[in-house]
Amino acid sequence: MKPVVEKIYNWLDERIGLNELVEFAKKKTVPEHKHTFWYYWGGISLLFFIIQAFTGALLLIYYRPGTEAYESVRQITYEIQFGWLIRSIHSWAANLMILAVFIHMFSVFFMKAYRRPRELGWLSGIALLGIAMIFGFSGYLLPMDELAYFATKVGLEIPAAPADAVGGLIASALGAVGIKAEWLKTIGTELSSLIRGGVEVNEYTVQRFFTLHVIILPAIFLGILGFHLWLVQKHGNALPPSEEAKPPSERKSVPFFPNFFMRDLAMWLIALNVLILLAAMFPWDLGQPADSLKPAPAGIHPEWYFMSSFQVLKALGTWFPGVTGEILGIVIFTAGLILWILIPFYDNTNQSGLRARRATWFGLFTLAVLVLTTIWGYLALK
Amino acid sequence: MNYPVWEVPHIGSGWVIGIIAIFHVMISHFAVGGGFYLPLAEQKALREGRRDWLEVLRKHAKFFLILTGVFGAVSGVGIWFAIGLAHPEATSALIHNFVFAWATEWVFFLVELSTIAVYYYSWNRISDELHLKVGWLYAIASIMTLFIINGILTFMLTPGGAWLGVAGSGTEPSKFFQAFFNPTFLPSLFLRTAVCAALAGVWALVTASRLPAEDEKQKALRTEVIRWSSKWVFGAFVAIPFFFIWYLYQVPEQHRVLLTLGASSIGQGMFTQLTRTVVTLVASSVLIAGVVYFLAYRSAESFKFSGAVAVVILALFATASGEYAREMLRKPFVISGYMYSNGVRVNKVTELNSNGYLNSSKWFAGTDTNSVIVKGKTMFLGQCASCHTTDGYRSMKRLLAGRDEQGIMNILKVLHENKDDSPYKKYMPPLVGKEDEIKALAAFLHTLVQSPTQITNQPPLSAAIK
Repeated sequence: MKPVVEKIYNWLDERIGLNELVEFAKKKTVPEHKHTFWYYWGGISLLFFIIQAFTGALLLIYYRPGTEAYESVRQITYEIQFGWLIRSIHSWAANLMILAVFIHMFSVFFMKAYRRPRELGWLSGIALLGIAMIFGFSGYLLPMDELAYFATKVGLEIPAAPADAVGGLIASALGAVGIKAEWLKTIGTELSSLIRGGVEVNEYTVQRFFTLHVIILPAIFLGILGFHLWLVQKHGNALPPSEEAKPPSERKSVPFFPNFFMRDLAMWLIALNVLILLAAMFPWDLGQPADSLKPAPAGIHPEWYFMSSFQVLKALGTWFPGVTGEILGIVIFTAGLILWILIPFYDNTNQSGLRARRATWFGLFTLAVLVLTTIWGYLALK
Repeated sequence: MNYPVWEVPHIGSGWVIGIIAIFHVMISHFAVGGGFYLPLAEQKALREGRRDWLEVLRKHAKFFLILTGVFGAVSGVGIWFAIGLAHPEATSALIHNFVFAWATEWVFFLVELSTIAVYYYSWNRISDELHLKVGWLYAIASIMTLFIINGILTFMLTPGGAWLGVAGSGTEPSKFFQAFFNPTFLPSLFLRTAVCAALAGVWALVTASRLPAEDEKQKALRTEVIRWSSKWVFGAFVAIPFFFIWYLYQVPEQHRVLLTLGASSIGQGMFTQLTRTVVTLVASSVLIAGVVYFLAYRSAESFKFSGAVAVVILALFATASGEYAREMLRKPFVISGYMYSNGVRVNKVTELNSNGYLNSSKWFAGTDTNSVIVKGKTMFLGQCASCHTTDGYRSMKRLLAGRDEQGIMNILKVLHENKDDSPYKKYMPPLVGKEDEIKALAAFLHTLVQSPTQITNQPPLSAAIK
């Protein structure tokens, strides 16, 4: 080490114990096998989250929620030096982060990294994906342009009707045994109204979504993320079944520091390069200002990660008109999600038995449904 | 000004050149950088008595020969075909002004092709000293091709006052050396040489990643080669920013200002893409050095072919954005101060405005002008199609969406008058021609933004030009 660097290192080591950290990192190992590539995706997801926090903070300097939301985003995009770049990076990184988390989740699933003792890692990961999607949904409205307005409007209307219907059924059942619970009939409508801050999507909705986006969600997300990362370092990287089948002497591993860490950094730089390329060459545009009196523009659709559920609900609504289709859709998604969340408790041993095979088939089925219905959704827009 | 028969739908003729040129530059700069990498590495191996390195270099030389001698040469010829079709006027101007330079370049190119073949096929068949000399001969020939082409390419951006003073007089070659050694010649030469070194390192990583690592000796050799190749990238990475700034300093203010148009906006039709391309160029160039450091230099033992491919792809991003930015920087000219990007010569504008564009154009004279739309499309092919397409790259449909014929005419009028306060003047050539020709162009462009039902009664566009 160079003398100056060494001095700084020693100064820090004396105060925060850098040597202990380095020794600890050197002892940690990462399995090395043909599926090692998939280990990088958790780190890539984390990188995009860090970028989101950083660019989000920069956007906060000029963004003004409420009635001036659109105007402030217009200034960021068309007037402020490199404001467009920060906004574009924020929007692209949001999408890439969710894509990276999806890839991370499916790689964890197929490597069966959710099995004992990593169940909580799986559950916290699913929670992080869920919050990331709400991040996306709430952030989508903030520019308050035409597309954001109508997509949010449609998005908030979807769960209201089936929730009311289910609430109505419960209220009727309770009524039969003499319990009055009429309010349940409008539970969905009331909930939507609470989120919107009124009967329409307007500046109050922007204010609420803004609070959610920059205060509430980050606070929850950071807590769960810390827990998730702690679990990752506690249990280390899981071996895929093909590696576990090998005797320990045939398994290879590399120290986390510096070997894996260096490659992790290289992956971050590659991801960063892809992000900057997309953000600069395909900058995020801004549509016309939202106007509730105008008809919705043709082809209103949610972001790609909601496209699958959007398309399934739309199709079910066509096949089973009225509230039946919507309830059916909600039931299917809820059941699917519960099964997905609970998979560690079903496929819970390190054996490659029937349960393990079924879990793999379930994963393949889910992946196929998500991909195909998303493609179907985009084709249906044309 | 395109050949009237060469209408490239969706991507436009510029991108035909662009796609060939980007890959060609990746290879041709490797041909120069690699030309130094090979004899320098061979010299090092001979000096240190490392016969194992020589075997590695022989494999790399084979890869080098195939990539540069075949793909590089073929794509170079491809560029000639493409520029001849997309920009016959500019190509003609370059050939006529630099006949001697081209002839010299072709001689060096021939030497390059011959020596690299001799270099590879004579491995272990002639003495080490002679083999090394062949390698150096190749290196000199390859850097000379860069030297010459660099003079001609930089001339297009900064032809210099001396040459512009005689431009159009028929005595242009009398200012050959002033035009050749123009203001951006040196910074560009240094910049490109540094890029050549970087690409030599990048491509060497491809062959190094394929080296066997079955025993400790092989592993050590592989690590050495990977680290030595990585240093070529780092060296260039340190030098490139200085040369880049020097280059920009030499670019005339009129062109340099184009770099800032996209700093505060992504507005449509405002020529903001140059700024965005430079952002990509800088980011890719910086990040590629980091990737090579962490992925190859620091993790040499686990460096794989997939990693090398990732580095090549990043280099492709940097090359593509660099070449695109360099081309865009010349706007609104193809040869600054002399010829606009649509092939119209600056000193012919007044004449074309009074005599008419279609009558004066050698490609379009005699076109059936009975149909206004045919006339308009002919104007489009002659003056717009070198940068715009109807429905793809810089699409007229998108840029003019929502405008009626009068609205389009108003824009064309601004382009025609080309006043100093025109927002388009910085990056678009003036629209030349008589009023009826410009009206015909407006009518044609309007057909592009009309709904299908509105244009039912129009003649088919395919009949526009035969």
